[in-house]
Amino acid sequence: MPRARLGRWLVALPMAVLALATIYPLMFTANVAMKTRREYILDRFSLTSTLHWENLTTAWNSVGMARYFLNSVIVVTCAVVLLLLIGSMAGFALSQLRFRGSSALFLVCLAALFIPFQVIMVPLARIMADIGLIDTYPGLILAYVAQFLPFTVFLMTTYYRAVPAEIIDAARIDGNSPYGVYRRIMLPIGAPALLSVGILNALFCWNDVLISLLMMPSADHRTLMVGVTSLRGQYSDDIPTFAAGVLIAAVPVLVTYLFLQRQIADGVTAGSTKG
Amino acid sequence: MPVSSSSSVRLAEAGRTDGTASAARAATSRRRPRDGRRAERLAPYVLVAPALLIIVVLRLWPLALGVNFSFTGDGDRNGTSVGFDNYSELLQDPLFRTALRNVGLLVLLLPIAVAIPGLLATFIYLRVPGHRVFRSVYFFPAVLSPVIVGAIFNLLLAFDGPLNTVLGGVGIQPVDWLGNPDVAIFAVVGVHIWATFGMALVVFLAGFATLDAALMDAARVDGASLPQTIWHVIIPGLSRTIQFVFVTTMIGMLTSMFGLLYIMTSGGPEGSTYLPEYYIWFQQGHMNRPALASAASTALFVIMLVVGLLQVSLLRRAGRET
Repeated sequence: MPRARLGRWLVALPMAVLALATIYPLMFTANVAMKTRREYILDRFSLTSTLHWENLTTAWNSVGMARYFLNSVIVVTCAVVLLLLIGSMAGFALSQLRFRGSSALFLVCLAALFIPFQVIMVPLARIMADIGLIDTYPGLILAYVAQFLPFTVFLMTTYYRAVPAEIIDAARIDGNSPYGVYRRIMLPIGAPALLSVGILNALFCWNDVLISLLMMPSADHRTLMVGVTSLRGQYSDDIPTFAAGVLIAAVPVLVTYLFLQRQIADGVTAGSTKG
Repeated sequence: MPVSSSSSVRLAEAGRTDGTASAARAATSRRRPRDGRRAERLAPYVLVAPALLIIVVLRLWPLALGVNFSFTGDGDRNGTSVGFDNYSELLQDPLFRTALRNVGLLVLLLPIAVAIPGLLATFIYLRVPGHRVFRSVYFFPAVLSPVIVGAIFNLLLAFDGPLNTVLGGVGIQPVDWLGNPDVAIFAVVGVHIWATFGMALVVFLAGFATLDAALMDAARVDGASLPQTIWHVIIPGLSRTIQFVFVTTMIGMLTSMFGLLYIMTSGGPEGSTYLPEYYIWFQQGHMNRPALASAASTALFVIMLVVGLLQVSLLRRAGRET
């Protein structure tokens, strides 16, 4: 059907334009980050003639980007490890072990899923201050775990539900305690789900500004995304260096996306089709 | 939930009587010493305890605390009960009114924010040339931090920035995208939609995967046009997915624009880009009015409940008619 084929190309054309509009802003930023200030002021769009990598080093050394980067890595790593551990333990128990109140507990997790951070942020900040965790790594880590745990428990529970009971029974006959079953069977079986949920949680935590702004007020403890906002004030008249800072903050996510697209999309959609 | 040992003893008895414990499990437990069996009974509770503790103490408890907090005073009246004072102050605050008006605007723009990814997902599902590439390119901005996206668009939308240069090239006067109170909120919401439509897109595509392919084939054999196919096959078949996207997109608009607002406009110009979440942050972080902020939080929670329930019931009714 030639007419239909023509129609498909006619649809593909605006879609291609849109695709370009989707990645162009980032390409523009990358290009600007490689220019000198003079080049940027004279012409915003032209491709830079020489790559000025020194913008990246200026941005990196400027307002403690290295420090912010390290803060983000520490906090995100700890939060994700804890989320996966606590979330998979609960997911295994809620999906495979029979105990009184299990369905009520699952409902509690579901309900918590629908409480946005903005709604609880004021009392949460007060609780954290009361237990002396404001402006500490454990405080921010705990806040991230609390924020993304309901989602993690929900996904791990639905994932583990599909594991046949025979596998667990067999492991029990072999003399495994429930903890043994968790460690030797459920953790390895859950690897694909743990990978998806882990990447997604890492992205959420890495990209967050609000929670980090609230829990880590002092300059030394800023995470990378909060650091980017302070970069903006510092380099309001030096756009290329600012763009370089933005690029540095975006690179980890860019790389993750290039390699693990599928897992990210799976994580995003897992909640939608089963929920 | 009681996690005490007495309840677990009752649990164990219940487990024995309801006959769910398989013979195999019974056999293993017979071989174990008594305290081992007790440890096994406690195991589910031990595994669930950390998650439950964190969720109850750091999510559910703050929700109750916040509602209670919203009826107390700030500053001099700290800790005393003030009834609905905070709420009446909220309603008289021009900033909060702007925030509410902007929520109304978001509701109006919502159909656009759902229709764009829905239509694009339809074309990708129908395998237009390059659909694989489109899928991954469109999804890409959704993984970027709102701060990064906001920073990039600060550059693009600056008064002497590239967008105005392009507009000038075709003879259009420069627009003060982020400095004009009438324009700024549209600019920020537009950027939010630009950044997040890929998220809704992959959800739609997951929905398409559950669509009955036979229906699509039947429509094709009957010579249905694309609009007919969308109206009679895709929309009814995907009603659950559409409902889900409506609710999550609205929640996203109400709760994940903070980073954008923070870096792009800081609520300005003239407070025109305030949303409830930014208002909460501002009252808590800058004005030291935690009780007022709690009242705004409670209001936001109520808005989200109402919007969510309304959308679910409206869409359910629409689904019944088709």
